Amino acid sequence: MILGQLKKNLMGPLFAILIAAVVTSFILISFGESPEILWEAFTSTFFTSFGMGYTLYYTTPLILTGLSVALCFHAGLFNIGAEGQLHLGAAGIVAASFLFPQLPWYLALPLGVFISFLSGALWGLIAGFLKAKRGSHEVIVTILLNFIGITFVNYLILYPFKNTSVQNPETREISTSFFLPPLSALTGHFGSEIFRTTPVNVTLFLSLIAALSCHYFLFYTTKGYELRTLGQNPKSAQFNGIALAPNLILVFFLSGGLSGLVGVNEVMGFSHKLIEGFSPQYGFTGIAVALMARNSPLGVILAAFLFGSIHNGAREIEFLSEKITKEIAIVMEAFLIILIAGHSYFVNAFTRLIKRGSRD
Amino acid sequence: MIELLASTIRLSTPLIFAAMGGFFCERSGVATICLEGVLLTSAWAAATVTYFSHNSYLGVLAAVLVGTFTMSLHSFLTVKAKADQIISGVAVNLFAAGITPILTKLLFSSPTNTAAIPMAERLNSPVLIYLAFGIPFLIHFITYRTGWGLRLLACGDGPQALKTSGVSPQTFRYGALALGGAIVSFGGAYLSIAHASQFTRDMTAGRGFMALTALIFGKWRPLPAFLTCLFFGLTEALQIQLQSSPIFENTFPIQALQIFPYLVTLLVLVGFIGSARPPLAINQAD
Repeated sequence: MILGQLKKNLMGPLFAILIAAVVTSFILISFGESPEILWEAFTSTFFTSFGMGYTLYYTTPLILTGLSVALCFHAGLFNIGAEGQLHLGAAGIVAASFLFPQLPWYLALPLGVFISFLSGALWGLIAGFLKAKRGSHEVIVTILLNFIGITFVNYLILYPFKNTSVQNPETREISTSFFLPPLSALTGHFGSEIFRTTPVNVTLFLSLIAALSCHYFLFYTTKGYELRTLGQNPKSAQFNGIALAPNLILVFFLSGGLSGLVGVNEVMGFSHKLIEGFSPQYGFTGIAVALMARNSPLGVILAAFLFGSIHNGAREIEFLSEKITKEIAIVMEAFLIILIAGHSYFVNAFTRLIKRGSRD
Repeated sequence: MIELLASTIRLSTPLIFAAMGGFFCERSGVATICLEGVLLTSAWAAATVTYFSHNSYLGVLAAVLVGTFTMSLHSFLTVKAKADQIISGVAVNLFAAGITPILTKLLFSSPTNTAAIPMAERLNSPVLIYLAFGIPFLIHFITYRTGWGLRLLACGDGPQALKTSGVSPQTFRYGALALGGAIVSFGGAYLSIAHASQFTRDMTAGRGFMALTALIFGKWRPLPAFLTCLFFGLTEALQIQLQSSPIFENTFPIQALQIFPYLVTLLVLVGFIGSARPPLAINQAD
């Protein structure tokens, strides 16, 4: 039975991926790019340690933002504010490191993770609170909060936290006790060369734990049940004594926190500072990830890996090609969202086409 | 002072077009967060066609065609394919953000900007500015004084009622979004061939969202939204003046001014300053 369900849930996304891949390849080839480059990007992404390292590095934040969006979807809410929440999370780590530069690593690391979760969560909480208490639509509120949050973080980067010795808009480096080891340090410990010089770091495990926790929370706890009931049928949920307001606030708090953890991957795991515009739309890609996974927290892991490899493939294509830029990843993402969001229409149109074909 | 006023007018023009176009889309009951994407593709089309044809009016025409097409993608997805309106908007924005640098690289071998249009071939006549300052009054008249306008309001607030009166809300939304998309496109064209002389990557810089914000701040009504656009244009003009003024150079955090429009809109939305009610049928599955 599980196999049957798996087949049902995988068929749609697999078809979408296939169609999006064909369309994107067609675009590339019609722009005069050689198919070899596509093949090279593909093999490099999946079959080299360097490509896989980068893919997993991109996968990590996408798992987190994907979970953030999916969790809200379960409660019938749309969190379009992951982009702002992750900026706040990243800024929180930098602020904590500047406040407590002398902390030993065994205190600094948990503090960093906690602060990034909390800063993102509090930023998300605003949307939940306004929805619960004032009835403001969460989509509009989170769009506004994105701008306010990102601009505020840019202010921190350019003024109080600025590294004045460089031209680039970036902060001073955080203290070394906040550094998380890259995966290559672990594999190197066992004498392996895998993931060398790639930025993938132990935050990957943190994001996997987050996905498992979300699965457990949603499907094996009372609170998770309440959230899902509210998402399915808010009226019946309230008749059954499930309070709306506290649950709205809670789910936005948790969602914001998950997005905030993206800062751990970026600041503690890789660049060790905050750079203006560090996120290539991780928050919006999180929407695509959640859609692709049909909001299943475990599915988010797979979907995030898919989008991570698209990001990495595009990076490789930009490197190899004279004509195509890495934005091809964004175009492919848009196609995937379109196919999934309108899937019932496209499936119908497709079956009609086949029927007509078989009649002729 | 005169310079500040002129700068305000220039900076609010694209916002007005985007907000007025967005007005038709949102009031017909389709949430339209893809104003940003429509601005972006139309700005790209205007700059590219003007550069190759040496005719800025052809550039404006191309912008309108491409912008309307981009918005029609949104109406196809939301009306025909019944996709969620917000998700469709996100997809259209991503598509625009992705396809414009790719096409720019392909045609001009640089992903960041199209080739500069010579000064004399830019859209030098202020025709778009006049249009921007006239169109809100026209829209006000159409919306509240004509049958089509009343149908627009009905389509957004009670599409069932419209259906009963013999007008298909679906068909009506196609029209409203195409018209809205065309109006937004004037804003895109203004950005790339009148305000600047080329298209640069992400040149809209959130203006589509700011226009949407102005529309909300104006409580989904054309004239208040128009005034809000002027006000947002003023804050943008102030930022530029403060940045270039020798007294404040690099000491005044312009981010405070950048946040301002979003902050006040949030306060309106939350109901601390009046209350803003979206069209009732917006973002509902029908």
